Amino acid sequence: MAKIKRKGESGAAKNYVTRNQALKKLQISLSDFRRLCILKGIYPREPLNKKRANKGSSAPATFYYHKDIQYLLHEPLLVKFREHKAFAKKLARALGRGEWALAKNLEEAKPVARLDHLVKERYPTFTLALQDLQDPLNLVHLFSTLPTNPIPGKTLVPSSVIAECSRLISEWKVWAIRTNSLRKLFLGVKGIYYECEVPGQGGELVKVRWLEGYEFQQHVPTDVDFRILLTFLDLYRTLISFTLFKLYTEENLVYPPPLDVELDERGESVGAFRLVEKKDNQGVESSKVSKKAVRKAIKGIKASTGGDADVEMDEDDNAEEETNENDEEFVERPTKSGEEVEDVATAPLTTYNSLLATTSNAASTSKQNLLFSPYTFYLSRETSSRTWEFVIRAMGGKIITSLSSPQPSDDSITHVIIDRPITVERMREMENGRKWTWIQPQWVADCVNRQKIISSEGYHPGQLLPPHLSPWDGEGELDRPWLEDAQNAAITAAQEEADQEEDVIEQDAPAEEESDEDEEIAEKEEAGKYPPALLASSLDPENVSLLHAAELEAEQNGVSHSAFRNQLKEAIKANKKDASTKVASAGAGKKSGEEDLRKIMMSNKKAKLYEKMQYSNREKAAEKENLERKRLAIEKRKRKEARA
Amino acid sequence: MAPRNATASSSRAASSSVSRLAKTNGNAGPSTLKNKKRAVQEVSEDEDEEFGSAGSGIDMSEDEDGEEGEDDEEEEAFPEFDSEIEDGDAEEEDGDDETGLDEEELDDEESGSESGYNSSDIEAMYAEGDEDEEEEYSPITSPSSSHKDLSTDEKLSKLIAKNSIKPDESLGTDAKISRAKEGVGRLVPSKLVEGGYKREYEDYEAGYGSESSTEDNPNTVGNIPMEWYDDMPHIGYDVNGRKIFRPAQGDELDKFLSNTEDPAAWTSAEDKLLQQSVQLSDKELDIIRRLERAENPDADYDPYQPTIEWFTGEGNERVMPLSAAPEPKRRFVPSKWEHKKIMKIVKAIREGRIIPNKPSAAKPTVYSIWSESDQANLSHAMYMPAPQLPPPKTIESYNPPEEYLLNEEEQKQWEEADKEDRKTDFLPAKYDSLRLVPGYKNLVQERFERCLDLYLAPRTRKVKLNIDPESLIPKLPAPKELKPFPISTSVVYRHPESSRVRSVSTSPDGLWVATGSEDGIVRVWDLGNGREVWKWNLKGGAIQHLSFSPYKDECLLIALVSGKIAVLSPLALVAPAIAANTLTHVNTAFATSAATTKIGAGKEIKGVESIKWVRPSESERERGVLVYVEVPGTPKQVSWHRKGDYFATVASDASNKSVLIHQLSKHSTQSPFKKLPGQVQKVIFHPSKPHFFVATQRYIRQYDLATQTLVRTLQSGVKWISSLDLHPRGDNLIIGSYDKKLAWFDLDLSNKPYKTLRYHTKALRSVVYHPTLPLFASASDDGTIHIFHCTIYQDLMQNPLIVPLKILRGHKVTDGIGVLDLSWVSGKPWLVSSGSDGEVRLWCS
Repeated sequence: MAKIKRKGESGAAKNYVTRNQALKKLQISLSDFRRLCILKGIYPREPLNKKRANKGSSAPATFYYHKDIQYLLHEPLLVKFREHKAFAKKLARALGRGEWALAKNLEEAKPVARLDHLVKERYPTFTLALQDLQDPLNLVHLFSTLPTNPIPGKTLVPSSVIAECSRLISEWKVWAIRTNSLRKLFLGVKGIYYECEVPGQGGELVKVRWLEGYEFQQHVPTDVDFRILLTFLDLYRTLISFTLFKLYTEENLVYPPPLDVELDERGESVGAFRLVEKKDNQGVESSKVSKKAVRKAIKGIKASTGGDADVEMDEDDNAEEETNENDEEFVERPTKSGEEVEDVATAPLTTYNSLLATTSNAASTSKQNLLFSPYTFYLSRETSSRTWEFVIRAMGGKIITSLSSPQPSDDSITHVIIDRPITVERMREMENGRKWTWIQPQWVADCVNRQKIISSEGYHPGQLLPPHLSPWDGEGELDRPWLEDAQNAAITAAQEEADQEEDVIEQDAPAEEESDEDEEIAEKEEAGKYPPALLASSLDPENVSLLHAAELEAEQNGVSHSAFRNQLKEAIKANKKDASTKVASAGAGKKSGEEDLRKIMMSNKKAKLYEKMQYSNREKAAEKENLERKRLAIEKRKRKEARA
Repeated sequence: MAPRNATASSSRAASSSVSRLAKTNGNAGPSTLKNKKRAVQEVSEDEDEEFGSAGSGIDMSEDEDGEEGEDDEEEEAFPEFDSEIEDGDAEEEDGDDETGLDEEELDDEESGSESGYNSSDIEAMYAEGDEDEEEEYSPITSPSSSHKDLSTDEKLSKLIAKNSIKPDESLGTDAKISRAKEGVGRLVPSKLVEGGYKREYEDYEAGYGSESSTEDNPNTVGNIPMEWYDDMPHIGYDVNGRKIFRPAQGDELDKFLSNTEDPAAWTSAEDKLLQQSVQLSDKELDIIRRLERAENPDADYDPYQPTIEWFTGEGNERVMPLSAAPEPKRRFVPSKWEHKKIMKIVKAIREGRIIPNKPSAAKPTVYSIWSESDQANLSHAMYMPAPQLPPPKTIESYNPPEEYLLNEEEQKQWEEADKEDRKTDFLPAKYDSLRLVPGYKNLVQERFERCLDLYLAPRTRKVKLNIDPESLIPKLPAPKELKPFPISTSVVYRHPESSRVRSVSTSPDGLWVATGSEDGIVRVWDLGNGREVWKWNLKGGAIQHLSFSPYKDECLLIALVSGKIAVLSPLALVAPAIAANTLTHVNTAFATSAATTKIGAGKEIKGVESIKWVRPSESERERGVLVYVEVPGTPKQVSWHRKGDYFATVASDASNKSVLIHQLSKHSTQSPFKKLPGQVQKVIFHPSKPHFFVATQRYIRQYDLATQTLVRTLQSGVKWISSLDLHPRGDNLIIGSYDKKLAWFDLDLSNKPYKTLRYHTKALRSVVYHPTLPLFASASDDGTIHIFHCTIYQDLMQNPLIVPLKILRGHKVTDGIGVLDLSWVSGKPWLVSSGSDGEVRLWCS
C-alpha cells in the first residue's frame, strides 16, 4: 500500500508560512521582521491556492516561503538586532540611574550592524547590482533633496544621512562625467530622467536609469513612514557606495574622492570633488621588487620587439611621476582670475593624468559620447547648473557657470543656455561682436537623445519649443513620420501659406471663398468632377508622366498652377480615403465573416484567450487612434488659425 | 511510610517472639509452630505497642538523626550489634543439629522478609540481639571468643572503622550495604589457611513485601481458586508437601447455631485458603472500622503531629559551621599572579604599547566585494528580482506633443477615477519653457509606494503569451473548397396569413415539399417553382410534425395533429405505379380485418387498447387521406424507419405511451417502453441496425429493439435537448439544445460529446444531416441557419472534420421564434427551411 499522505505535511501547506507564523518562528517583533525583510530582500508570495497554503482557512493572510524564513533564522543581522535590543536596555538603565560613565562606555561599545554581507549576498555579481541600481539611485536622489532641518512630526531624517546622500550622488555624477557614460536624458513633469551605461562584470554594459526631481523643496506627505524609507536607504547607501568603490577603482581612482571644501562651500555640487589617481603603491612596489626580473625580461624580448620594452619603461617612469603629483585635478575649473581662464582656453585639459584618462576613455567609448567636446557653454543663472553642468560635462563640453562669471565675458563661449525671454538687442549687446548660439535647455536634451548636434532653430530664447519626446518611448517613436514632418512643418507651412496667399491674390472671386464647412462638402462633391488626367495622376501620384499630362490638361483648361496643385492634393487625399475605406470595409466584411465561422470551432479556452488578446489589441489601437485623431484635429485648428 | 513501618516492626517483633517460643518448644513441627505463632500474635502485638511507646522508636523511626540524637545508649550497642550478627553466624557454623539450623534459617527468613530496612527494624534487631545475647550467652563458641582472638590491630581498625562511620550513615536504610561496601564484613576463621581469618560479607537480601502471604500461610497451593479442591479430602499442602486436610465443617445448621451462639461470630471471617473461619483481632477490626470511616488504617498515624525542631528554635542553635575547615588564604589575600598580569598591562600602557579605548581596527566602510569571477548563484529557483519601473513615456514630458494633453472631458475622468484606475499617475501638462515647470508634489509619496511594493507586494510570475491571436484560430479548409452547399434563397413558399410553419419535409424523389402550418393545413408544394399543388385540412389544430416516408417506391406522408396521426398520400401527383404501391401497402390490413377499426396486433401488449387505426371516410380517402391512427396525447414527432413500414411517434404528454412504434402493413402499434426514463423529446431509428435512439431532456439512450436491451446512454452535457439526428452511416449523432449548444457524438468514441459547439445566440430548433452529402445544418431561434461540412473518415483513428461553411440569413424572427424546421432535398445540396414568419425557403447552392 502506498504511503498515506497526511494533510498539511507536504505541498503548499508546507511550503508557505503566514507572516504571523514567521514572526513566531523568528521570535522577533513585527518591525524587526520588516527591517529584516527589507534588508534581505524577502517578499511575500502568492500561493496558487490560498486555502491550501493556509491549511484550509480562507482568512486573508500574507504568505512567505517557508524556506525564506528558514533562511532568515541564521542571519547575522538577527543577532545584531538582539544585541542592539540588549544594548538599548542597558543604556536606558544606565541613564535612568544617572550612571553617566557607564552610559558613555556603553555608547562607545554600541553594536553596529553592517550590511556589507547583504550587498554581496543579494547581488552576487556586479552586473546584478547594476541592474538593480535604479531604485537605490532614485531614493538616494530623493533623500538628497529633502529638507535638512527635520519637519517636526513629519521627517526625522538626520541631516548626516541627507549629506551622505548628496555626497553619493555627486560621486556618482563625477564618475559619469569622467567616463562620459551618460546616454539619455528626459525632462519630465516629475523631474529629469537620466540613463547611463555602466560596465558590469566582464565589461557587459548595463543601462542604469534614474530620476532626479527638480530643485524644489520636497512636499512631504503625512502618511509616509520614514522608518521604512530609511531602512531601504540604509541598504541602498551601502550598495551605492560599494558600487562606486568598484567603479572608481576600475577607473584607477581613489574612493572616496576628496572633497574640496572651499569649492563645496561656494556651492559647487559635482565640481567640488577632486579625482585622485591611485598611487598604486602595490604596483610600484611590485615593480621595484621585480625590476631586475623585468629588465631581464625586457632584454630577452628586446631582440624581437624593442618598442614594447620602451613602453614598459615609460610606464614605470609614469608611475614615478604619478607619485610626485598625485593630487592632480581632473576637473578643469575656470576661475575668476584671467590668467587661469587663459590657461583653460589654451590647454583644454590640464594634466597629463587626465589626458591619459581621456585617451583611455576615448578608446573605450566612441566619439559620439563627446558630443559637446568642441563647445563651451555658458549657463545663465536661471538654469539649473546641477543638471546642465553634469550633462554637458558628461558629453564632453566645457562649462562656464554664472557662478564663476556673472556675465558671459569669455571668448571661448560658443553656446549660451538661457531659459528666460530676452530681446535680440540685449543678446547682441552681450555677444559684443562674438558669435554665440542662444539656446533653451531643451536643445541640450534633444541633442543628447539624438546623439547629434541638431539645429538650434526653434530653440532660441522666447521661441515656442518643439515637443520634447521620451527617448524610451519605443524605437519608432522618435522617427514617427508625422513627428519628422513636424520638423519640416514650418517649411511646408510657410510654403502653404505662400501658396494660399497666391490663391487669395489670384482668385479674388467669391465663389471659392466659402466657409470651411462648405469647402469640405464641396470637396466631396467635386471628387467626381476632376478632369480625367488629374484623376489618373491622383491615383498614381508617383508617376511623373501622368503628373505632366495632368498639368498639361490643367493648362489647357486654364487652371492656375497653384489651383491645380491644390486640386491634385485634394484628389489624392480623396482617393486615399476612398481606397482605405474600401479596403477596410472589404477586409472587414470578408475577413470577419470567415473568422467568425472558424472561431466556431475554437475550444472554449482558446476562444477566451483570443477574446482577451483582441480586447487588449483593440484598446491599444483605440488609444493610438485617439492620439492620431487629436493630432489631426489640432493640426487642422492650427492651420485654420494660421489661415485666419 | 509510618504505618508500614509499624506493621513491619510488629511482625518483626512477633517473629522474634515466635522464634524464641520455637526455641523453647524444641522440636515442634513447623505447622504447629506457625499456629502457635498465630496464637501469640496478639500478645506480641501488645508487646510491640508497649515497646513502641516505651522507646518511642516507631514514631521517631522516620528521622534517623532524631534517633541518633535521642538514644545515646544505642550507640554503645553498635559493636555489640555487629558482634551479635557474627555470633549468630558463628553459631550457625558451629551448630550441627538440624533443628538449630532450622531455627536459624527461620530466623534468617524472618529477617529477610523484613523489607525496607529502616531504623525501627534495626532497633528491633538491637533488641533482639540483646535478648539473643542474653539467652544465648552460654554457648561456648561465642563471638566474644573470636573477639578476643583478634589482634589488637584488628581491634583498633575496627574501632576506627566504627567511629569513622558517621552515625547517621551507619543507621541509614542501607546500613548493611554501606557497611559491606566499606569492607565491614565478618571475620571468619579461614578454612584454608590455618589460623587465618577471612572476611565474610552478609548476603544482601532483597526485601520482598512483608505481607502475611509470604510469612505464615501454611497452605502452599498459592493463589488458585479453592474450588479446585472441593472434591478432595484435603485443601492443599504444607511446606513439607504433606496434605492439609479439610477441617471438619458442620452443616448449615451448625453454622447457624454457632453464629447465634457465638457472640464473636460476627467478627470472624472465612479464610478461603484454610477453609475455616478466623477470628479477626481487635487490631484488624480497628483497621476495618477506620477504613469504613475513610481514615488512615493505621491507628498510630497522626496526621497533625507537631513539628519537631531539630535545628531551629530554642536550644537548638548550632554554633558549629558545617565545615570546620579554616578559611583558605586565597579568599582574603590578593592574587599575586593577577597582580603581575595587571602590572604587565599597566606597564604596556605606560610605555604606549597598549592604547586604551582605541577604536578597534574596523573593516573599511567600503572595499572590493565583487570580482570578475563572481557567479550569480541565485538563492533558489523561485528567486524573482523586483520588476524595474518602466521608463517614462512621452506623455510624461514637460513639453509633450499637444495631442497627449487631456481634454476637459478626459481630465474630468482622470480626476474622478480612483488612484489605481488612472492610466497615468500625473496629469499631463505642457509648459512653454523649462523654468516654468513646478516641483512634482507626489515624488516622496511615489518613492514610498515603490518601497512598499518592494517589500510588501507578493510577486508572481506571469507568462505573457507572445503569440499572434490569429494562430489560435484552428486551421480549416476554406469553404470555397468544400462546395457545393446552400448559399442563397431561390424559392420562397409563402403561407397565407403568415401562419407559423412548424414542420417541413421533402419527398424522397426530391420533387415535392410538404409543410405543416399552425392553421391545421398540410400543403404540398412543387419544390422547383413554389406552387402549392395539394392541401389537406386535418381540422385537428396545428400540424405538429410531418414527414415523408424515405421509401422511394411509395409516396407516404405522415402528419401529426392533436390526438391523431394522419397517413396521407398525394396520389394524384405521383406516378400510378407508386400510387398503387402506396395504397396496397396501407390498405392490406384493412382487407384482412375488414373492419374499420383494429386494435393493435400485439394484444398482449398492455396499454395500446386505446389506439385505433381508423379508416377515413370515402371522400377523405379520395383526397388521399389513407388512415387515421387515434393515439393518446398530442404526438409531437414522427420518425420513419428506413424501409418505410415502421414509424415511431412521440407524444410527450401521454405518460407511458409517449413513445409508440407503428407498423403500417399490419396496422399495429406497440408501446416499447413500460416505463420511460424521463420526458422523451425525440426518437430516431438507426439506419442499418435494429437500434432505436430515445432522447430525453439530457440523455440519449440507444436501445436494441431485437434483444430489447439498453445499449448505451449518451451524456449530452446540455440542459434540454431540442432535436436529434443520426448520420446516415449510423455512427455519429448530433443534437441541438434549447441552451444554444450543438453536440456531436462519435458513437465509437465515447458516451460524451466529441465536440460541443456554441455559436447560435438563441435556442436551436433543428439539426439535420444531409442523407447523402457530407453536410449538416442547424436552425435556431436567432433566425439563422448554419451550414457545416462534416467529413467522417473510414479510418477510425481520425476524428471527423467539421467545417463551418455558411450562415444563411433570411427568416424573420417573430415572437422570439426564428427557424423551426429543416429538411435536406435528397441528392442535392439544397435545404428547405420553415420559419415562424410563415415562409418556407429553399436554399440552393
